[in-house]
Amino acid sequence: MSTPKNSFAFGMIASALAATLALGAGVAMAADGPLRGNVRVVIGSSSTGGDTYQNSSIVVDKLAEKLGVRMKVDAVGVSAAYRALDRDPRGNTLMIFHDQSYLGNLYGVEGYEDPFENYIIGPTIAINPGNAYLVPKDSPYQTLDDIIEAVGNGTTVRVAIQPGGVSEIGYTALKNAIRIEHPGKEDNLVAVNTGSQADKNQLLFDDQADLINGSVQANEQYTRLPEDDQKAMRFVWLTARNDTIQQAPESGLGETDRETLLQYVEPNVSVTMGDEDFTFDKEFFFLYNKDMDPAIVEQIDATLEEIYAEGEIQEEQKKSFFIPDFMPSDEALAHLKEKASRYEDIIDSLKK
Amino acid sequence: MDILASLDFSFFLLAALGTLVGIIFGAIPGMTATMAVAVCLPLTYALGLEHGLALLLGLYVGGISGGMVPAVLLNIPGTPSSITTTFDGYPMAQKGEGERALKVCIVASLVGGLISAAVLFLFAPMLADFSIKFSYVEKFLIILLALTVIASLSSNMLVGVFSGVIGIWLSLIGTYSLSDGGNGKTRLMFDFLEPYLVDGFALLPVLIGIFGISTILLEAEKGVKGGLSGQSLKVGKEGHFSLGMFKGRLTNLVRSSFIGTFVGMLPGVGGSAASVLAYTQEKNLAKDSSQMGKGAPQGLIASESANNALTGGALIPLLSLGIPGDSTTAVLIGAFTLQGIQVGPLFIPENSATWYVMMVALVFANFVMFFLMFFAIKHIAKVVLVPKYILYPIIVMMCVVGAYAINYGIMFDVWTLLIFGVVGYLVQKIGLEVAPLIIGFILGGSAEVYFVKSLESFGTYSIFFTKSPIAMVLWGLIAASVIFAIVMEYKKRAQHRLEAAQ
Amino acid sequence: MESAQSSLFNVSIDFGTSHLFFPHIIHWILAILFAFILVLKVLPFLAAVRRGERTLPIIGEPMHVGLFIGTLVLIAAYFYLMGVVGELFPYTGLGFLFTSIVFVFLMSLMFMGRKSRRKVITALVNAIVAPTLAWFILGKLFYITLP
Repeated sequence: MSTPKNSFAFGMIASALAATLALGAGVAMAADGPLRGNVRVVIGSSSTGGDTYQNSSIVVDKLAEKLGVRMKVDAVGVSAAYRALDRDPRGNTLMIFHDQSYLGNLYGVEGYEDPFENYIIGPTIAINPGNAYLVPKDSPYQTLDDIIEAVGNGTTVRVAIQPGGVSEIGYTALKNAIRIEHPGKEDNLVAVNTGSQADKNQLLFDDQADLINGSVQANEQYTRLPEDDQKAMRFVWLTARNDTIQQAPESGLGETDRETLLQYVEPNVSVTMGDEDFTFDKEFFFLYNKDMDPAIVEQIDATLEEIYAEGEIQEEQKKSFFIPDFMPSDEALAHLKEKASRYEDIIDSLKK
Repeated sequence: MDILASLDFSFFLLAALGTLVGIIFGAIPGMTATMAVAVCLPLTYALGLEHGLALLLGLYVGGISGGMVPAVLLNIPGTPSSITTTFDGYPMAQKGEGERALKVCIVASLVGGLISAAVLFLFAPMLADFSIKFSYVEKFLIILLALTVIASLSSNMLVGVFSGVIGIWLSLIGTYSLSDGGNGKTRLMFDFLEPYLVDGFALLPVLIGIFGISTILLEAEKGVKGGLSGQSLKVGKEGHFSLGMFKGRLTNLVRSSFIGTFVGMLPGVGGSAASVLAYTQEKNLAKDSSQMGKGAPQGLIASESANNALTGGALIPLLSLGIPGDSTTAVLIGAFTLQGIQVGPLFIPENSATWYVMMVALVFANFVMFFLMFFAIKHIAKVVLVPKYILYPIIVMMCVVGAYAINYGIMFDVWTLLIFGVVGYLVQKIGLEVAPLIIGFILGGSAEVYFVKSLESFGTYSIFFTKSPIAMVLWGLIAASVIFAIVMEYKKRAQHRLEAAQ
Repeated sequence: MESAQSSLFNVSIDFGTSHLFFPHIIHWILAILFAFILVLKVLPFLAAVRRGERTLPIIGEPMHVGLFIGTLVLIAAYFYLMGVVGELFPYTGLGFLFTSIVFVFLMSLMFMGRKSRRKVITALVNAIVAPTLAWFILGKLFYITLP
C-alpha cells in the first residue's frame, strides 16, 4: 500500500473519531452531580418478562428522567450481573435484585457470595406480594393446616419448588413449622426440585406434586377454572405479610379481590417459627459496587426520595401489582440484614 | 365492540413496520426475532396494548422469516431456528439458485405461518390441554426423536453420531441451572474458568461462531483470490421459481407446518427443535430424500414452514396457559404484564377483543412478510455479489453485535464467537461433522433436564417406556427413524461399492 | 419377575450430585464411540498417511499461513480492544464504534488481494459507514447495549 492512501485513510479515521468523540462527550456532560455518563442497571434475572425486569424498568425510567442521565436496564442474569458490578466502581453499573441475593447465599448455592459483605446495599424500591402456594382444586387438603396435620400424621406431601432461594424459603418455613409442631415428622414433607412456573404447574397436573410454589400473578386465572378442569388450582397460602397485602389495590388482581387474598395470609394462615408466624415479602433493592463513591449512594437515595414523595410512581407500581416500598440505603441495609438473619435461623434449624 | 376501533390505519402500519424491522433483524447474522422483540418492548408501553402487540407480532413473524436469508446465501443461520435451512439452501445458492431457494422458503414460511395461525385461532384452549399431557418423560422422548436426525443427516453415521454427542457434551458445560430445577453446581470445567463459564456457552454465539467465523477462517486459509463471495454464482440465472415446485410437496408442507406448530406449543422444548424435527420427518417419510442436504427444495420447505409455524404454536401456551412456548414469546409476555394484563387459562375468554386483534395482526404480518420478501428477494439475493473484502468484515462486526446483545451485553459471548469459530474450523479439518454437532448442542441441555428429572420423579428407567400411550407412540417414531437411517446408510454403502466396482 | 425387572431399571439420583449424572452417561457414550472411531477410522487413516496416500489435516495441508494467522490475531485483537476502549467511555457503544472502524478497514485490506486505489477507498468508506450505521441504529435508536 502506498503512503498517500495511508495518510488519507488515517485522516478520515481521525476525523470520524473526533466527531463521534465530541458526540459522546456531549452525552456524558448532560448531567451534573456525581452520577454521570451512561448508566447501565443490570438485574439478577435473565428474563425481560419477569417481575424483576418490570419493577426495575419502572424505577429506572423515573430515576433517569429525574437525574437527566441515560439509564438502561439489562437482564443479564445473576452471575453476569455480579461480574459487571464487580468490575465497575465508577457507578456506571448498578444492580437491582431481590431477596434471592442473600437467600442463595444462605442455601449455599454456588456463585452466591454474601451480598452484605461484598456489595453496598442500596435502597429498597418495591415488594412483589404474590409469592404463593397452591394445591389442585380437588385436593383433599382444604387449608395449609390440613397439610401440616397430614404430614404430622405420617402422610408424605410433595412440594414442587425451584431450589435454592425465594421459591424454597416458604417450603423451608413450612418444614420448620412441622418440626416444631410435630417433631420428627418434618421429613414427610418432601421437595420436588424443578424449574420454571410451567414445570411446577406441570408437576401438579401430572400428580407428581401435592403442593406447588407459584404466584398470584401467574396462577390467579388457574384458581378460577371449574373444579372438573385438570388445570384448576386453589391458593392455600400467600407468604406476604398481612400489612403488605393490605396495601394492594382493593380490586386485587384479575377477579380475585384484596379481601379474598387476605384469607391466605397470616394470621388466617399460620406457619409458626416458634414465637411468631413466618412471613416473606419479596423485596427489590439496589446493589452497588463496594468501592462506589458514597456521594452516588446519597444522590440516588435523595432522588428516589423525591420521586416517591411525588406519589406518581406508587400508582404505576400498584397497577402492576407491586407494593411500593421505598427505604433509603441505611434503613434498607438494617432491614434486610435483620430479615436475612431470621431466615438463616430457619434454614439452619433444619440442617442436620 | 372495540375491536374495530383498534384496527385503525396505524395498527396495520405498525404491524407492517414491525414485520419489516423483524425481517432486517432476522436477516442480519446474529440478530434474532427475540432480540427484535426485546428491543422494541419498551416502545409498546407508549403504544398501548393492541398497537404494541401489532408491532411485536410483526417483529416476531418478520424475525423468524428473515433468518432464511443468511442461511441460504451465506450458510450462516440468521436465527437458531433456520439452521436446517442452511442444509439445502446453501448448496442451492452455490449452484446459482439462491433466489429460487429463497422464494421456496418464503412460500413455505407463509403457509407455515398461516396454518399455525389457523390452528391457534381454532384450537388454542383444546391444544393447551393436550400439551399438558406432555410431562418430562414425553418431552425427553421428543428431544430424542429430534436427535435421531443426527443419524440420518451425517455422511458417515459413526462420525456423525460421535459429533452429535460432542455437541451434547459441549452444551452441558456450565451450571446445572437452578432455573431448570438443577442444583446450581458447575461441571465440566476448570475452577479458574468458572467466572466465565457459569452460564455455559450461549447458543447464538456458538451458532454464528461455528457457521460464520469458521467459514471466514477456512477462506483465510485458502488465501485470497480476490473474488466475489459467491465466486461462480449466477444469481437467478438458473432454474426459475414457480409454484410448480410445490407439486407433490403438499404433504411435506402441511406436515412440517403442523410439526412446527406442535413443537412451538410445548413449553421448554425450544424453537430450534421445530425445524430439526420437521426436517427429520421429511427425511424419513419422503419417497425420495436422497438429495436432502445437497440442495433439495423439499428440505427448505420442511425447515421454513416449520419455523414459521412455530409462531402460532408458541402463542398457544402463552395465551391459554400463561406460559411462553419459546424464547421470543417469553419476551412477549412482558408486553402484557407492562400493561397490567394477565395471561393465563382465562385470557382468551376474558380478553376476546385483544385476542381477535392479535389474530388479525398475526395473519396480516404473515402476508406483509410474504410480499415484502417475495418482491425484494431479487435484490437481497445479490448480497452474494458483494466482494468478500467488504462482506466478511461486516459479517464479523454484525456477529459481534449479535453475540454481545443476545444476553443484554456479556463480553464472554463475544469470545465464544471466536472460540467456536476455531472449534468449527478444527472440527471440519479433522473430519467431524458440523451439523450433527450443532444439533447436539442445541438439544443437549433440555435432553439432560428432562432425562434427569424423569428419573428423579419416577426412579426407574422403565418409565420411559411405560409412562403413557404418547410415550409409546414416540418410541415407535424413534425406532422408525433409527431403522430408516441405518437402511439408508446401508444402501449408500452398497451403491458406493457398486460404483467402485464399475 | 416384575420386581426383578423393576430393580434392574431402578435408579436413585442424589440431588447434590445430580449435575454429574447426565454428563457421566455422555462421557461413557463418547468413550465407546471414540474407541470405535479409533479402530475403524483413525488407525486406517494413520496407516494411509504412513503409506503416503493421505496427509494429516492442518499440518500436512497446504495453507495460507499468513492470512489465516493474521485473521485470527486481528479478530482476537478486535474483541480484546473493544472491551478496553469501551471501558473508557462506559456504555456509550463508542468502544465498539472505534474498534470496528479500524477492524473493518484492516480486515478489508487483508482480504482484498490485489489492491487498487478504488478498492481501498471503497473499503475505507465501508469501514466508516457500516460501523457508524450499526452503532447509530442499534445503539442509539434501539438502545442496545454495545461494548
